[in-house]
Amino acid sequence: MRARVVAAAGSAFAVALALGACSKNTGTKTDVDTERKTTGVIATDPKDSLGPAPEVPGAAKGGTFTILRETQISHLDPQRVYSFAGLMAAPLYARYLTTWKDDGKGKLTLVGDLAETPGTNVNKDCKVWEFKIKDGLKFEDGRPITSKEIAYGIARSFNPDLTGGPTYIQEWLADSAQYDTVWDFKANKGSLPPGLTTPDDKTLRFEFKTAHCDLPFAASLPATAPLPPDKDTGVNVDNQPFASGPYKITKVAPGVEVVLERNDQWDAKTDPVRHQYPDKFVWSFGTTPDAQANRMIADNGPDQSAVAFNTVPASLISRVLGDATLKSRSLLSPTPSANRLTINTQRVTDLKVRQALNYAIDRDGLIKALGGEAVASPLTTLLPPATLGFEKYDAYPAGPNGNPDKAKELLGGKEVPLVLAVRDDDLNQRLGTQLKNNLEKAGFKITVKTTPADSYLDDVKNKNNAWDIYLDSWAADWPSGAAVLPVLFDGRGIKPAGNSNTSYVNNDAINAEFDRVLAMDPAAQAPEWAKLDKKIMEEVAPAVPLYVDVSFNLHGSKAGGVFIESIFGNVSFVNAFVKQ
Amino acid sequence: MVRFLIKRILTAVLTLTAVSIVAFLMFFALPADPVTGMCPKNCNTERLERVREELGLNDPKPEQYLNYMKGIFVGRDLGSAQGGQCDAPCLGYSYVNSEAVSDTFARVLPVTLSIVIPAAIIWLVLGIGLGMVSALRKGTVLDRLSVGFSLTGASLQLYFVGAVLQLVFVYTLHILPTPGYTSIFEDPLKWAGGLVLAWWSLAFLFSAVYTRLSRAQMLETLSEDFVRTARAKGLAKGKVYGRHALRAAITPMVTIAGLDLGSALGGTVITETTFGIRGLGRTAVDAVRLGDLPTIMATVLISAFFIVLANIVVDLLYAAIDPRIRLG
Repeated sequence: MRARVVAAAGSAFAVALALGACSKNTGTKTDVDTERKTTGVIATDPKDSLGPAPEVPGAAKGGTFTILRETQISHLDPQRVYSFAGLMAAPLYARYLTTWKDDGKGKLTLVGDLAETPGTNVNKDCKVWEFKIKDGLKFEDGRPITSKEIAYGIARSFNPDLTGGPTYIQEWLADSAQYDTVWDFKANKGSLPPGLTTPDDKTLRFEFKTAHCDLPFAASLPATAPLPPDKDTGVNVDNQPFASGPYKITKVAPGVEVVLERNDQWDAKTDPVRHQYPDKFVWSFGTTPDAQANRMIADNGPDQSAVAFNTVPASLISRVLGDATLKSRSLLSPTPSANRLTINTQRVTDLKVRQALNYAIDRDGLIKALGGEAVASPLTTLLPPATLGFEKYDAYPAGPNGNPDKAKELLGGKEVPLVLAVRDDDLNQRLGTQLKNNLEKAGFKITVKTTPADSYLDDVKNKNNAWDIYLDSWAADWPSGAAVLPVLFDGRGIKPAGNSNTSYVNNDAINAEFDRVLAMDPAAQAPEWAKLDKKIMEEVAPAVPLYVDVSFNLHGSKAGGVFIESIFGNVSFVNAFVKQ
Repeated sequence: MVRFLIKRILTAVLTLTAVSIVAFLMFFALPADPVTGMCPKNCNTERLERVREELGLNDPKPEQYLNYMKGIFVGRDLGSAQGGQCDAPCLGYSYVNSEAVSDTFARVLPVTLSIVIPAAIIWLVLGIGLGMVSALRKGTVLDRLSVGFSLTGASLQLYFVGAVLQLVFVYTLHILPTPGYTSIFEDPLKWAGGLVLAWWSLAFLFSAVYTRLSRAQMLETLSEDFVRTARAKGLAKGKVYGRHALRAAITPMVTIAGLDLGSALGGTVITETTFGIRGLGRTAVDAVRLGDLPTIMATVLISAFFIVLANIVVDLLYAAIDPRIRLG
């Protein structure tokens, strides 16, 4: 799980100035689907996990599909992939134990990818999981993929040299955060980590010491991609991943481009989600977001079948929204990245004060300060709408601009002083000013403390930080409440530093609820998380939900099949094609 | 001449050694910890220490420096965390690019050379040519146009000129392809098409100085006695201006050209950023932004190498152009 840092648009070169100057603010509405919410299931019928994936209407084979991005993808080695770009690129060349069928509108189904189903909870206690591997799976050189290569892929994620990837499965198998000390990969090459076995070529078995009902979700991350031991070149796999997906990597020039071409060993019949429409995918790096948007607007030559992976810069938003053609070539959707005003409950101990903050918040004003509806979409819940089982509610209904009178009433006429910490970049300082003006109208006295952006996250994660409220965000790795609420509000694991529970809530009743829901079958958990979300907000109010980030990407006139996927809120390429 | 060359090369080696020591010390003085980049999320003191040990960061500094230099000349084993054996010239391993730094440079150096060398040819021919014409046609419309051109070039910024050129030729007229780099050996036409705007943008700005300088130098030389004597002897105009006057006027321009070329080869950051092309400059900037210390250090060394090399070439050209300058 990644606490996502709000990055201000850094480079504003003259291409943007020259072209952006031509734009006019038409005041057009964005049409962001603020009601988009995720509904989903974990597939129980093996048929759901079978391929081929349904044909995309209008899709054609052939052509080169280009993806423009400012910076390179940090890792291509599936065991190290964890960045948004990496998570969007990896499905093209790697397959995982499980994966998500995603209709791009929020309907999700967790299905088996390499596995026949999303896993069997053998004893119904989430401690023993078994995955049966599909027949007909092959690596790019034609070798069959069996449980052995998948197990090896998981084992190599214990290698301390291979940094950057998620660590859920390693920690669960080792039953320790120090998983690479518990099991030394380099000293035990040829064997498997404790709890991971392959009874036969078709079976992969996990045995945990404690219950981990989220394994089918965690298995949908690229870290479960297979690799034959003889293809493990350690850190060098990053520049030569061995393909199991519909494309194989034929060229890696770090910082410049990654080229993927069809993998003729991939069998569509085994794959429930991916397609193989373009002849080639090219990830091209080094183009600023402004230049990307301008190239998409110009829609020339090869750019017609390209997509800008970075979001439309603020200087061009009104131009794109004001032009029907450009708007039709844009993807605009809320993402699962949820932003909140975290309340440090160790310092703000009065529930009424926390509730007053919730009544006072002017979400509309804040979103305007951020850049408008094309950048952020209002949120009144702790869970983002992209969570399975999400129920929309507002525990403190006060309208889009807040209700300062109701807040003052709760404060009992007193002026409550609070220290608000914000990062020292332009955007966050602007947000700090907006929040100060907003909250002071409701009876608070806000002192804004700017803190270096580099150390901000570490500072708010310190238990004894000296601030009352601060801006925080969370993007879960799978759309389950289990990946959000216990991580952010279970107080039993609070440490002196490095906390994700930055509200420092430690409420016995809430903690007990976490245990109860986490012990349930994953499929049954979804509605319970939504109920618990409401309970936490009503009884503890540890934060003020603010907004979810919105993805806003432009593509060329011949780029088809792209959509904002529902797990990470970025552009997905599994259905991409070049219009002929 | 040979003695001069040996002397200059020895000085160059000493300069580069000094730069390498300073760069190496800088590597350790920077606030970014080289280990942080490769320690997993749940990093602890024990794990940090293990990584330090594996990377040899606990060895004495002189030993680390000698190992680094040894890598440049004979290669060295960097350990499994850094990709294993690194062949000479080994400049370390980049965790950002997940490859040996020398591999990064093997890829980006041709890009920078492809931008700078053709641009330098254009700016020298254009700058000196306009300056000469301007001097020979002093006071005419041509002179004023040349001066105006050079003033415009000197006043504008590359990111503006580059953006306007892209707006006109790429996005509006659709005459040129989107700027980018293709190897000259792969497709010479595509290579030129992708870089032509970068060449002209760079040349337009750089040539301004040469126009002004060559005009002033030429005017001064043309008023010298030896030019009048040559003309009085009945030598053809072209011979007087081309062989005698230009040769005398060009010396200061060689100095500036050498320095300009040396520093441009060290990285044309703004050009590369404006046109979305990744050469030495962007690599260096990204390395600084991401705390990629081995790449930063290698960039410093390579930039210093180009400057030193350019200075040697300038010294040699001096001798060739002006016999009054004695080498050695």
